[in-house]
Amino acid sequence: TGGHTTEILRLLSCLSESYSPRHYIFADSDKMSEAKILSFEQKRSETFSNSQFTLDRIPRSREVRQSWTSSVVTTLYSILYSLPLTYKLKPDLVLCNGPGTCVPVCISALLLGLLGIKRAIIVYVESICRVETLSLSGKILYYFSDYFIVQWPHLKEKYPKSVYLGRIV
Amino acid sequence: FRFKESLAEDLRRADLVISHAGAGSCLETLEKGKPLIVVINEKLMNNHQLELAKQLHRDGHVLCCNCSTLVDTLQSMDLSTLKPFPPGHPEKFALFLDTVVGFQ
Repeated sequence: TGGHTTEILRLLSCLSESYSPRHYIFADSDKMSEAKILSFEQKRSETFSNSQFTLDRIPRSREVRQSWTSSVVTTLYSILYSLPLTYKLKPDLVLCNGPGTCVPVCISALLLGLLGIKRAIIVYVESICRVETLSLSGKILYYFSDYFIVQWPHLKEKYPKSVYLGRIV
Repeated sequence: FRFKESLAEDLRRADLVISHAGAGSCLETLEKGKPLIVVINEKLMNNHQLELAKQLHRDGHVLCCNCSTLVDTLQSMDLSTLKPFPPGHPEKFALFLDTVVGFQ
């Protein structure tokens, strides 16, 4: 969604073309992200001729301030939806930065790894908006990601297993 | 206006920006090098949305006030005290990822 998409596209901005094909997954309720992604990829294709990417939508796991119990149900639904998608894509690397949408995808990737089907490296970058506290996605994925990146020193102190590279967006 | 697709043009022409504490608004303004006054409405916003505005204020990049002190702030502000906001470094992330994935 919105700010998350802008941030993740900035994270991608310096990646080499070895990170290809790129599979973007976002919430079906998100209207603006598709345009931002297309614009980013369009610019990228001006530099790299063989740029490949796909777009996929999944049901949004949780609306802002949605209640706990209904969140569990909607997240489970999103997981059921994202499992076949993740299985189809079999990513080597999952990169995410915090919208609820990323949790089902990461869980699917973890499951694929546990089942011996495909082991992905899961990299989570917490949003630059998070200076003192982690987002809910961050709190969950801190334990399940391979690399957890924070952008402010306070969070590095609070979450010692995280990686601090300074501001990267 | 209600919603515009991009405020880039308005930002470019502005000499001063007065904004709510939304991260996107703050960062977009600072990156364009415009002086920024952040108006904080604690009743309306989540705690976490204030984190960035508070940090930016601590680091001297923005002025802060609330709705009732906005006029005073505008009258007494000294924008020369604001520090420029350095850009982020996505290339550091790329380097890190290359190492992690094994491209380096």
